[in-house]
Amino acid sequence: MVNLTLKFAACLRAIDMKVSTAEVLDCVNHLKLIDVIDEDLFKTVLKTNFAKSRRDHRTFDHAYDLFFHQMNSNIRLEDIKANENLVAANEIDILQKECVDQLAANLEMDQINQALINFLSGEPLTYMKMLRELQTKIEVARVINSNLGQLTERLQIMLKINAIRNLIPQFSGGNFDMPGSNKQKRLNQRLEERLDNAYQLLVKEPVPENESLNVVTRNQKRSQKLGDIPFANLSQTQIEEMRETIRQLVRKLNDIVTLRFASRNKGILDIKKTLRKSAKYHGLPLELKFRNKPLRKGKIVALCDVSSSVWSAARFMLNMLYSLQDCFSKVKSYIFVAQVADVTDFFDRYDTNDAVEKILNEADIEYNVLTDYGATLLDFKTNYMNVLDKKTTLIIIGDGRSNYLNPREHILQDMREKVRRIIWLTPEPEKFWRTGDSQIMTYKTYCHELRVCRNLNQLNEFIEELVI
Amino acid sequence: MYFKDIDDVEKRLESANYISSKEIAIIVFLATATEKPILIEGPAGVGKTELAKAIAASLNHELIRLQCYEGLDEAKALYEWEYAKQLLYTQMVKEKVQDVIKGAKTLSEAVEKIADQEDAFFTDRFILPRPLLQAISSKNPVVLLIDEVDKSDPEFEAFLLELLSDFQVTIPEIGTRKAETIPLVFLTSNNYRDMSDALKRRCLHLYIDYPERDAEMRIVRLKIPGIDETLLRRLIDTINNIRKLDLKKKPCISETLDWAKSLIALQAKDLTRDVVLNTLNVILKYRTDVDLAISNIDKVIAS
Repeated sequence: MVNLTLKFAACLRAIDMKVSTAEVLDCVNHLKLIDVIDEDLFKTVLKTNFAKSRRDHRTFDHAYDLFFHQMNSNIRLEDIKANENLVAANEIDILQKECVDQLAANLEMDQINQALINFLSGEPLTYMKMLRELQTKIEVARVINSNLGQLTERLQIMLKINAIRNLIPQFSGGNFDMPGSNKQKRLNQRLEERLDNAYQLLVKEPVPENESLNVVTRNQKRSQKLGDIPFANLSQTQIEEMRETIRQLVRKLNDIVTLRFASRNKGILDIKKTLRKSAKYHGLPLELKFRNKPLRKGKIVALCDVSSSVWSAARFMLNMLYSLQDCFSKVKSYIFVAQVADVTDFFDRYDTNDAVEKILNEADIEYNVLTDYGATLLDFKTNYMNVLDKKTTLIIIGDGRSNYLNPREHILQDMREKVRRIIWLTPEPEKFWRTGDSQIMTYKTYCHELRVCRNLNQLNEFIEELVI
Repeated sequence: MYFKDIDDVEKRLESANYISSKEIAIIVFLATATEKPILIEGPAGVGKTELAKAIAASLNHELIRLQCYEGLDEAKALYEWEYAKQLLYTQMVKEKVQDVIKGAKTLSEAVEKIADQEDAFFTDRFILPRPLLQAISSKNPVVLLIDEVDKSDPEFEAFLLELLSDFQVTIPEIGTRKAETIPLVFLTSNNYRDMSDALKRRCLHLYIDYPERDAEMRIVRLKIPGIDETLLRRLIDTINNIRKLDLKKKPCISETLDWAKSLIALQAKDLTRDVVLNTLNVILKYRTDVDLAISNIDKVIAS
């Protein structure tokens, strides 16, 4: 039982779930308390100990199914209980071992083949680790930006799976059985099924569930002329008008925030100040002094796509964010196309509106390249990861159109672990999310909130929720 | 030992007016048997808080509740020195100070003598226990509910760790307080943000989803005895249809109950189109949601 739990825990770690030794210990203790023959019970115990958030449930179910149903078709739970020995000694298993050994002897033993052979004999760990490495591998930048490297490696594994598939009938007969016997058929079937599983694992990654994702696509109508015009369609005069409107909105929001601060600033008694004041009254503490409690201020990191369609929305968002700077402890902003550039400095030096104009011309970034979200995330990870902490709200503004390049969504997962919330704003309405090269559906699994933000009403609602 | 076995959990929860699923019962049993906290996740209004209350009721334990919010600190959650009382006492015993330092020849001797007395002001007498300290120092075992822990700050979460793993808290002036009895801890989360791995590692995880159709019918029957069966069935089906819409806030169990109660108050015999239109406000809390339901009204009402 302990062995089995340990092996399963190792598999979970191979697919990037965090399982600690303490949790394995707890789990083994819990298994002692229940009747392990009841599979519902057994699964619930493993799940409650190893999958500690709703997000992990789908990945867990997937791994559980693979480990206990597909891989170990010969494990019966009674066996587990009766003895620790998992090698059930029925004939097919012996045949299987022979066959796999033969296969191993006849194949060139590189890393991939070794992993596949292990997978066939019921040890999925090495194979899963290999896939994991493949998915998260950072490619060396070549002259042409592409994700071909990853694809070729996948193709190699596929070819090797097929090669083994062709070899199986040759060796599955064993040394004594006639080919075509019942046993051979069953063995063939089992090995084929495993290869199918290996193939499925290769082409489909389990995606974490993200039920708590807050998708905001609609908004309340406010009676503003400008409110419903998409940012991209604004004329020059309307842009001016828009700035004025934003200024008013910002003033209103600032008022609300100050009010809230005033009513909340009574903290605990400040002994030092009270004693100091009491000296006036012969040591009688007549005037009580309270410690002012500053509002907890969050840090904002904004990451903006500057391709034309997105920029029209991003400029107004940055405008509003910086006008409300006092509500946050710090606002940092970055822009990207295929690289990331820090533009916080522009906002420090110039007036908000000027800064927005200057960014487009003067930022240190290559504009004439294809938008590449994967490369952007990678660049951010290598250079700016240290600006993220648990008090940061990361706002990403972009349409998620990555020109069919590798989206590298794993990096977004790493970022999610570092920050308080990730909010993705997209200027595209929901109906376009599944079209063309849009990776919004991929990225949305890793965000806390996904919002459509294409006109002032939507922007206003978003900022209001952020500040208040 | 809190519960005998898993069936016992189910039975006693039901006697406390809580219909639990098998999964809930298993995890509650394991948590009580191994004295581990439970982290409960799930959409709003599926009975996360209610579970803790039901457990407290079924075990006949006191329930101590700590509601988390942004800015919650130790002074509100754990303990606070009662400064006003300390000041008051200082004033009252002022004369006594003369007696204490009487006979002291030098200044440093006087300070020494006062230092001997300073413990008098940092004792249990001047501590104002907040929920967490209350739970730990209670003589009888209690159920501690830390509600909406995801709303609290990361600092507070870190500070919970000591409590959850060792069931002890450290008060600098007094020392470490160990729990007299180990409380049964429930943490609830709406997933506003991800909890830290360290916190998750110390807890068992339980996800509660919207109940199955039959379970929800049982719940309504339990809370509103005597409700008409056909009305109940149509009510539940309609609610489930409404949940499938793209709503800002989906109606939860308590809203189902509210709706059932209002239908009974209105003496509605059946769930007709008019009745639904007139009472949608009971289950939907946003105007946009109500509009959406009205535009889909024919799809929503169960036959």
